[in-house]
Amino acid sequence: MIENEELSDEEIVEKVRTSDKNLYTIIIKRYEDKLIRYANNLIKDKNKAKDVVQESFIKAFIDLNNFDIKKKFSSWIYRIVHNEVINIIKKYKKETSLQEDWDFESEENIEENFEINEIKEKVEKCLENISFIYSEPISLYYIDEKSYEEISYILKIPMGTVATRINRAKKIMKKICQKN
Amino acid sequence: MSEELKNITNRVMGQINEGKIKMKPKIYFVIGSIFTFLGLVSSIIVSTFLIGLIRFSLRSNGRMAQYKFDQLLSNFPWWTAVLAILSLIIGIWLIRKYDFSYKIKSIVIISAFILSILLAGYVTDKIGLNDTLLFHNGPMKGMMQNYIRGGELQNNIYKK
Repeated sequence: MIENEELSDEEIVEKVRTSDKNLYTIIIKRYEDKLIRYANNLIKDKNKAKDVVQESFIKAFIDLNNFDIKKKFSSWIYRIVHNEVINIIKKYKKETSLQEDWDFESEENIEENFEINEIKEKVEKCLENISFIYSEPISLYYIDEKSYEEISYILKIPMGTVATRINRAKKIMKKICQKN
Repeated sequence: MSEELKNITNRVMGQINEGKIKMKPKIYFVIGSIFTFLGLVSSIIVSTFLIGLIRFSLRSNGRMAQYKFDQLLSNFPWWTAVLAILSLIIGIWLIRKYDFSYKIKSIVIISAFILSILLAGYVTDKIGLNDTLLFHNGPMKGMMQNYIRGGELQNNIYKK
């Protein structure tokens, strides 16, 4: 198992599919922390977040043959967690402002005064005050360090919309979180 | 690794090793892709021909059809309109299943799909493909001839 830990996600997935199911443990270990934090940022309930991640790993295993190894496994597993979170939100009908699906035009100058590191520290604290539609892309961008392209894949929205939502989220954060 | 994370790993791996969860075979997804593709193609063909058929039925009511509103309403094959809309909805739903679709705004995909179908339906009718396939040949020949005859009969009743 140790020598396999050096392999990329995609190489491990290929081995899980063809020869050794137990290597899936490495995948779980690599992602569970990040995914629990990601899910928790969205649903604000650690127990539910753990359930979501566990269910996502199970679904990912069942559909593993549908994963294209030319693509990034990390985006694929985040996508599954995103879908599970949406299902949980629908199931528990939590007040998460999902109806707030309007987007603002991008205003590049707004975040000029914000240093990336400063934002990164504040993002996690501020996420609770931001509606789901904005907290998710900004959490993926700053906390999980995903690119716009990866976020676009995870959320299944165009890259332009990702950029717009992140800029809007920064604007909201500037308003709300600077007060705190 | 913390205890709770060990639990997630153990629970998932336990279910895998006990055979409670199994990987779906590759063929399952291949068949799924084939059916999605066939479904999409069928929905495009059905909606294109139905749009053509709607134009065809409008023409079959005569040059002044648009002015003979009652006649048009009673003669019009409403099932084609319902089926055309249904095929369009199925087509849009299937196109959203494709990986590229999220990169384009939904409104653009939906508008482009509907416009292409309307255009294809118009062209199909204009070049007479519908007449050839539906009226003179093909599986719908009998039904279409009955429909036209029914329309003519009704027109004669109105004239009297």
